[in-house]
Amino acid sequence: MWREIKQPAMSQAQARFLKELRLRRWAVRVTQWVFLVGFLLLWEMAANREWIDPFLCSQPTEIWRTAVEMAQNGMLWAHIGTTLWETAAGFLLGTVLGVMVAVLLWWNSFVSEVAEPYLVVLNAVPKTALAPIIIVWLGNNQTSVIAVALLTSVVVTIMTVLNGFLQTEEEKIKLIRVFGGTKWQIFQKVVFPANIPCMMNALKINVGLSFVGVIVGEFLVAQKGLGFLIIYGSQVFKLSWVLMSVVILSVLAAILYKAIACLEKFVLRKRQ
Amino acid sequence: MLPMVSFQDVSLSYHSLGGETRAVSHLSFTVAEGEFVSIVGPSGCGKSTILSMLAGLFPPSAGSVRVNGTIGYMLQKDHLLEWRTIRSNIFLGLEIQGKATKENKSFAEELLKKYGLWEFRDHFPAQLSGGMRQRAALIRTLVLSPDLLLLDEPFSALDYQTRLSVADEIGTIIRQEGKTAILVSHDISEAISLSDRVIVLSGRPARLKKIHTIELSVEERTPMKAREAPEFREYFNQIWKELDVHVA
Repeated sequence: MWREIKQPAMSQAQARFLKELRLRRWAVRVTQWVFLVGFLLLWEMAANREWIDPFLCSQPTEIWRTAVEMAQNGMLWAHIGTTLWETAAGFLLGTVLGVMVAVLLWWNSFVSEVAEPYLVVLNAVPKTALAPIIIVWLGNNQTSVIAVALLTSVVVTIMTVLNGFLQTEEEKIKLIRVFGGTKWQIFQKVVFPANIPCMMNALKINVGLSFVGVIVGEFLVAQKGLGFLIIYGSQVFKLSWVLMSVVILSVLAAILYKAIACLEKFVLRKRQ
Repeated sequence: MLPMVSFQDVSLSYHSLGGETRAVSHLSFTVAEGEFVSIVGPSGCGKSTILSMLAGLFPPSAGSVRVNGTIGYMLQKDHLLEWRTIRSNIFLGLEIQGKATKENKSFAEELLKKYGLWEFRDHFPAQLSGGMRQRAALIRTLVLSPDLLLLDEPFSALDYQTRLSVADEIGTIIRQEGKTAILVSHDISEAISLSDRVIVLSGRPARLKKIHTIELSVEERTPMKAREAPEFREYFNQIWKELDVHVA
């Protein structure tokens, strides 16, 4: 006697597995929030009961009050705007310039061989150590801040992108050559498009680096921006300014990173 | 009639820090128009080098290489550009040679239709099977109407099943288009089944060992049918012996 053997829509084991997976994810989320809220509550309480010195450590409600106040008189937006603009300018310029230099080095292998040790050393130097020199050269202004941000990202961009260019599949280059293609066509048809993922990656890394450059730059010269707010706040013991700026900075960094991740997804949507 | 390809006493050496390596030594042969010729030899003997010289990627160290016509080259893997659609991929050669005219593009699209890839024209390479990708790579080459096709182990990246049917398919297409072709392969049966002549090379440096003219008593000379010919095994055994493959 033959029976038809049907696979059930979903086995019980599979259903249990999925349920456990969801439960675990949910537990992780909840714990994350509990941790954050608990931390804020504890901080608030510790400051209120003077377990810690609210003058030195501030407290969440105080930070919130400061933020609301500064948002209302518009100061907050001006500082955020300045920092954002400098960061965006820094990392876009850093990436574009870095890619351009990488193209140049790819084009001329002699130049790139000559440049290699210098790049390695430049890459190892903490770029923020060069910030004072930049300021001496470019002056006490926003240009210097952007230049420092650019400097932090440009060398690493050159190295990553050049490396990507050089690792383009030899056979794909051969394909263009057997079609009789020129070096420019090899670059345009294969090397550049093949390395778009690599360049998107560089962009992601550069957002973080550029923030570092901007904040250091602002520490040194600025009259505006979150970095300025941090350094000024610490000098006048307005810890709520400092902490507020730090929180805003982390949120901004996260948003920018996410934005670039979305851009990357969009640009690479057709690739697999 | 002038041969399509002539190699006369060709030698080639590579230079590296480790010294000079002789890849090809005093090699002479010709290929006539419309002929399908395979070159077999032990792996690493310099077979691909011969095609590279034909394609003009580098000159021979000595002797002369003559090609009477335009060349299309098929590489080991399809190397379709993954960021381009199939249609855009087959236009690549046209773009590079500045021949992307309306006429040539519609010829390319004709080929897509003819060889069953038209429905996939807007797909990306990753969405196609290995066999379809190799077919697309062949079309990319045929679009330029080359007089001579150079096939550098174009099936070696495929699994055995696919490989048989793709070799059959591509061999048939090449005969249908009446192209002259030179196939480099380490697969003896593949070489016999596709070719009019098989050139056997020695190990490195590559020297000419023997040239077989393949005559098979089958009605329809497709690569698949060729394997069923009674003479097939004989050719296979002979070439096998000449290749002198030692499996220690």
